[in-house]
Amino acid sequence: MLLTYFVAKHKILFWLLPLRFSISHNNSSLNTKLRNPLSITPHTMSGDEASTPSATPKPSATAADSPLKLKTAVEALSSIVPSLSRLTPASLPTSPDLYPQISALLRQPNSGAGDNNLCRWLYDTFQSGVGDLQLLVLRFIPIIAGVYLSRVADRKPQAGFEAVLLAVYAHETTSRAGKPVSITIPDLTQPSVYHEGSVKTSGKGTSTPNSAATEPETAVVSPALEPHGTVRSTRRARIVSVALELFYAKIGQMPVSSKIDFCEFCKMWAGQDGEMYKKFEEGGEKTEEEEEEEGKKEEEAVGSDVAVEKRVKVEGRVPLCWELLQPVMRILGHCLLGPNNNKEVELFEKANEACRSLFSRSMHDVNPKAILPMRSLMRLSKTVMPNNDNLDPTELPFSDVISL
Amino acid sequence: MGSTEHGRVSVREFQANGSRMAASEVEAKLDQGNIQEAEDSLREGLSLNFEEARALLGKLEYQRGNVEGALRVFDGIDLQAAIQRLQSSFSEKPPGKKGRAHTESASGSQHAASLVLEAIYLKAKSLQKLEKFTEAANNCKRILDSVEKIFYQGIPNIQVDNKLQEIVSHAVELLPELWKQAGCYDEAISAYRRALFSQWNLDNDYCARIQKSFVMFLLYSGVEASPPSLAVQIEGSYVPKNNLEEAILLLMVLLRKFSLGKMKWDPSVMEHLTFALSICSQTSTLAKQIEELMPGVYHRIDCWNSLAFCYSGAGQNDCALSLLRKSLHKHERPNDITSLVLAARICSSDPHLAAEGVIYAQRAVNNARDQNEHLKGVALRMLGLCLGKQSKVASSDSERSRLHSKALESLVAAIKLEPNNSDLIFELAVHYAQHRNLSAALRSARHFFNQTGGSMLKSWRLLALILSAQQRFSEAEVVTDAALDQTARWEQGPLLRLKAKLKISQSRPMDAIETYRYLLALVQAQNKSFGSSQISSKVLDDKINEFDIWHGLANLYASLSRWKDAEICLQKARELKKYSAAVMHTQGVLFEGRGQNDEAFLATINGLLLEANHVPCKILMGGMIQRLGPKFFCAARSALSDALRIEPTNRMAWHCLGLLNKQDGRISEAADCFQAASMLEESDPIESFSSIL
Repeated sequence: MLLTYFVAKHKILFWLLPLRFSISHNNSSLNTKLRNPLSITPHTMSGDEASTPSATPKPSATAADSPLKLKTAVEALSSIVPSLSRLTPASLPTSPDLYPQISALLRQPNSGAGDNNLCRWLYDTFQSGVGDLQLLVLRFIPIIAGVYLSRVADRKPQAGFEAVLLAVYAHETTSRAGKPVSITIPDLTQPSVYHEGSVKTSGKGTSTPNSAATEPETAVVSPALEPHGTVRSTRRARIVSVALELFYAKIGQMPVSSKIDFCEFCKMWAGQDGEMYKKFEEGGEKTEEEEEEEGKKEEEAVGSDVAVEKRVKVEGRVPLCWELLQPVMRILGHCLLGPNNNKEVELFEKANEACRSLFSRSMHDVNPKAILPMRSLMRLSKTVMPNNDNLDPTELPFSDVISL
Repeated sequence: MGSTEHGRVSVREFQANGSRMAASEVEAKLDQGNIQEAEDSLREGLSLNFEEARALLGKLEYQRGNVEGALRVFDGIDLQAAIQRLQSSFSEKPPGKKGRAHTESASGSQHAASLVLEAIYLKAKSLQKLEKFTEAANNCKRILDSVEKIFYQGIPNIQVDNKLQEIVSHAVELLPELWKQAGCYDEAISAYRRALFSQWNLDNDYCARIQKSFVMFLLYSGVEASPPSLAVQIEGSYVPKNNLEEAILLLMVLLRKFSLGKMKWDPSVMEHLTFALSICSQTSTLAKQIEELMPGVYHRIDCWNSLAFCYSGAGQNDCALSLLRKSLHKHERPNDITSLVLAARICSSDPHLAAEGVIYAQRAVNNARDQNEHLKGVALRMLGLCLGKQSKVASSDSERSRLHSKALESLVAAIKLEPNNSDLIFELAVHYAQHRNLSAALRSARHFFNQTGGSMLKSWRLLALILSAQQRFSEAEVVTDAALDQTARWEQGPLLRLKAKLKISQSRPMDAIETYRYLLALVQAQNKSFGSSQISSKVLDDKINEFDIWHGLANLYASLSRWKDAEICLQKARELKKYSAAVMHTQGVLFEGRGQNDEAFLATINGLLLEANHVPCKILMGGMIQRLGPKFFCAARSALSDALRIEPTNRMAWHCLGLLNKQDGRISEAADCFQAASMLEESDPIESFSSIL
């Protein structure tokens, strides 16, 4: 039985095949729409693995053919989801019905199969190269990644999801051009726009005496990408994480509901209840009321749906390697501490829950690399709690004597 | 206004030009909507001009919380005209002229300036409270624009009165907040930069607050800021190129300000820095920052623990462990479960630390109560791992088996608490496998494989090894081939080595040589491209050693009696690693095969001198001594039993000991040894199970 499983190989779908050849065609449209936030420090590259398709990039979807592509996308979508047939090319990016309807379909039991029309539509739409359409597809990355990873253990065919993820991965591979995303760690001995250098060399100090002495330290945030035509199981996490990195890069343009879904999947992936960290580092005793409430919860949990739900959650536990955790934490950071978050109470709550679960998971994995940032996120989220009334420093002092 | 407010309102009063006036009367007029009348009574009562009266009224309304009213009042003032008048009055008196009259008139116009600017500021605040953020931001921006025009060389420190400075500082801080609230993130970024790069004469508190707020924006907004413009860059200075770099730089600057005493301690600065540096795996840099903090900021134990996490995250486990030893000292915080578990985890990787780890883990188990009860499974798992490691260096057989069964007990107890922890399932599988409980090992390994969906290279390798131990070589090869299919080329090294060994086990040496050759090409290609740091560190971990390949090939050729080829490969291996017991062992085998017994003997002795516990050398030596004649049986026996003490599951050692016993006439003992050897052969993996841990 073991044998037969291993012998069975990945079947590559017919519509996946052009992927390798088409990735070079749609590289720039999304980036011209917004500066690519993962700005890249160039590294010298060699070796054959890094040679991403280097065919002369065709001009990406021009303004002229994008209305046509929008129209095609809308027509194709309405044939797949009849209830969305009222959409027009103009209302497509902003329609409030779009996200809930499509995400409900994506959650259906066989949604990720290779013959799934919706996956095909998402793939085609992303491949169209039209920036707006690509952003539209990116909205569904959390839900696709979430459902996909949680189903891996079930060994269901998920070629449809894989195709969409691979398309996003290929897009990033092309736009990063074989270079890793890295940053230079600032060194305070060197002066910067925000401060003066501290160590002054005596004597005739030339302008850069320090830079020669210490080589600046470089940290790789995301290693160079190799092109992949299929999802190899050992590369699965990497492909998903790159899709999430792109989602994070455009997170300012993503709807709240998509972020909320992401937080829920984080909880599921963690597979760990984080409720014991609700009172994290407060040190206070539980009030009687809370204890009573907890007691009630436990009672409920014994027999009813809650217990079932808990088990379902545990089933979604996935291996959380560092490459996957990295974008997850950045997205969570945005959900918790991003600007204007005080308006999104639900998102903040969900992000907090996700954070607690992931912290709990990192404790269970005894993973210091994850414990540190998750603990900091939890502490920071306390400082921006909606009910935490911080003094507004921009308020002028009030006094009873009103003078000039 | 509610009546409850009136109690306080009666206390309010106006003050200007040396006279006072109660506010209640004016308030009543305002409540009736008579702004004009209120203004008139103020002008009469305090002898003010129109603008001054309006400014006071606006302030009153703002303070009363009636922001709509405040806006109505401010709308009455032509702020644009007032600003223009200000600019012309300032430009008439260019700064730098001496004379008392000048400073006096300057202070007069500064007074007028602060009056107008305060009015605009309050207007912006009122608009903010009405959630008209863009309009508010535009008003706030007007303040900064006009200040910049007035003081075009930056705000001089001495010449500005406090009031004006305060309003300017407030406006500088407010502007980016308003753009943020308006959702205009690009404007927010330029407002932050304008605040931080221009000369506003901000005091440290303002500056620190703005920097911190900018850091939060950079780290969490998800909007990528373009690098600061060239105009502000000084030659030779560090210019951040992206959000992360800029945020980390600002946070470090903030920490320095604190240590210079220019700023109050703000714990969130350290948390942001922790997040930012951890995201890019720079916990060693974080450790440096924590070490540079002034003593007393954190409690020493918290400091040690944070540092331990940083160092452990950066792979410097020795450092981490010595810090944890300090914090877990009985006078410090000996029962802190997080540190206990981490300390145990670090100890579990080294057999010589395992005994210490057992103590930590046991303490963690005992302290997994209340809020930490959920960590009991983790503590038990660490206990199992440490015990398992400890059994490797046990001094006696009985001790070893005692530790082993205790380790198994702990792991099984752990898995009851954490049935879904895939790492634990893997460790259990390896544990079973190491003790030749192959069916249980296979069950666990398959469970692990299914749970992780084949995403872990080690899940494939473990399956193949267990199958090879069960002598199911063809199945093991199918698994290895499937694994090769599922891994990127750079990570295929360990799998190819496995495959080569599988071929050898299936008596297909030529195929094995072919596989080795392919592996060699891969490793050499890998070595070539390593200089360019484009391969992730994960690959580096999986990187297979070129030395291993040459050594494996040498062994293979030796087993085929192709001495010349073996010698060439061995020479290659020796070039890569000069002093290696493994090479000496193979050399010994080569000499022995060619009948050069003395040289063979010397080679094994050299091998043992390099590595006293090298089992293959001991076995080879035992065999050779035995052949010297019955006089030396005793020495041979000692070498072989020594080998078995170190590695009780070595079937070659049992086999040789059997031969020895047979020659010595101890037939029943010989039979026992042969039986052990044959039993072990039935469960011998092609590579040691511990090679994948």
